[in-house]
Amino acid sequence: MRDVYVIGIGITSFSRLEYPLVEIAAYPAVMAMKDCGLSKVDHLFVANMGASRLNHQTGLASALVDHLSLTPVGAETIENGPASGASAIKAGWMAVASGLHDTVMVVGAERMREANNLETTDFVASLTHPLAEQIYGVTLPSLAGMFTRLYMEKYGVTSRHLAMVAIKNHNNAMLNKFAHLHEPITLEGILDSDDALTNNPMVADPLRFYDMCPVSDGGACVILACAEVAKKVKRPLIRLAGVGQATDTHCVHERKEPTDLLAVRGAAAQSFKMAGIKPSDVQVAELHDAFTILEIAESEEVGFFKKGQGHIALEEGYTSLTGKLPINPSGGLKAKGHPVGATGVGQAHEIVTQLRGEAGERQVKNARVGFTVNFGGFGNNVVALTFIKEK
Amino acid sequence: MERHILGYKCRGCGHVWYPNRAVCQDCRGTEFEPVPLPKTGKLLTFTVLHNLAVDFEVPSLTLGIVELSNGNRITGHLKIDQPKIGMKVTGKVEPVRQVGYHTSYGMVFYKG
Repeated sequence: MRDVYVIGIGITSFSRLEYPLVEIAAYPAVMAMKDCGLSKVDHLFVANMGASRLNHQTGLASALVDHLSLTPVGAETIENGPASGASAIKAGWMAVASGLHDTVMVVGAERMREANNLETTDFVASLTHPLAEQIYGVTLPSLAGMFTRLYMEKYGVTSRHLAMVAIKNHNNAMLNKFAHLHEPITLEGILDSDDALTNNPMVADPLRFYDMCPVSDGGACVILACAEVAKKVKRPLIRLAGVGQATDTHCVHERKEPTDLLAVRGAAAQSFKMAGIKPSDVQVAELHDAFTILEIAESEEVGFFKKGQGHIALEEGYTSLTGKLPINPSGGLKAKGHPVGATGVGQAHEIVTQLRGEAGERQVKNARVGFTVNFGGFGNNVVALTFIKEK
Repeated sequence: MERHILGYKCRGCGHVWYPNRAVCQDCRGTEFEPVPLPKTGKLLTFTVLHNLAVDFEVPSLTLGIVELSNGNRITGHLKIDQPKIGMKVTGKVEPVRQVGYHTSYGMVFYKG
């Protein structure tokens, strides 16, 4: 297989965007083409989860390939729930690694805020099992709430640890102009004061409002290329060195150990093996913190910390921006935002920005190895990517 | 007539699956027979959900995962004031969601 590099990147703000979905997809694509100086690519993959339901649009890749005047090259839309973004990058990686194409554009785009809160909640809940979960009104936050309660009972994680994840990621997002939430929060405001329950009400007990990611619109793009093309482009050489994916039971209740996220464990192990590195080699990571508990649980499952130790590493500042292994320097899904189909591409955008040394105030010093976890469903389909900066 | 939630017993190895699957995870068998699931068990975990999907016109829902007496696990509604992990519960099959004229039945658990 051939080596695959990320040569160009682009992103929109993750927030409420009042323009059509195809424009949300096109903006980062044009930005990425300018970034690497290419005006054409051999193929387009578009990651999107909800256009048919939320925006009454199907065939998004066909719309985008023409909007970018890239016809007649091939184009496909890839839907893998909230892991669509990393799945589309994986498809792009396969196309370049196999020798089928020399350059592939991967765009993730989502416009969720066109629908109201009820419809969006119901749309995301359609990821759950129709007969054994959905009929009961199970939503993703409710699955996260049940998971958190067990995690607290078993490993001693408290609401304070969860709030610390939120505060860390909100602080990181303050340094990211593309982030959805530019809102500093404090332990006093969301947990300790008399007003905390008003500021930060229960959503899926024990998870509260500030334990949840926002519902975002947004788009992101990465352009992948073979070594020959990558070496001609005058940008730092960032190799997509490891690609891993694993799945788990559709129903959360069928998992033997309900506090395990085996798909995260499996995807990460594959990704590290392909890249030829250990978890301890990673210097910056973007983990899928749709709920605060997930940052802690994933940091353990991928092997950064032992099971049950993630919250202690967090408490000691190990995962903060100036710590030994900064997690979610972009603000994460928690504060950068979560436009579902675009999120995985957004995570790759942040890691490439960090490895290039272009992250400004939130730059992780001398980062050479970066890692992402993009988590679909409640952990039933997970894609993990490893990026290495070459000398 | 008493309603039941059905598990699916693999004709190859006897494992009961809930919900159904096309291929048995244990023996790769493809034939199953429906068997009623037991209704008693212990509560594994729960949440009180305040932000509900459409069709639920109540302020909150208590959802839980229960391990039934035969070892199968099931997600359901809890009608229990102060649920506790590990408590004994008994289920009844009742309406759980109404969409237009369509009523979905599911397991609703009570204390004891």
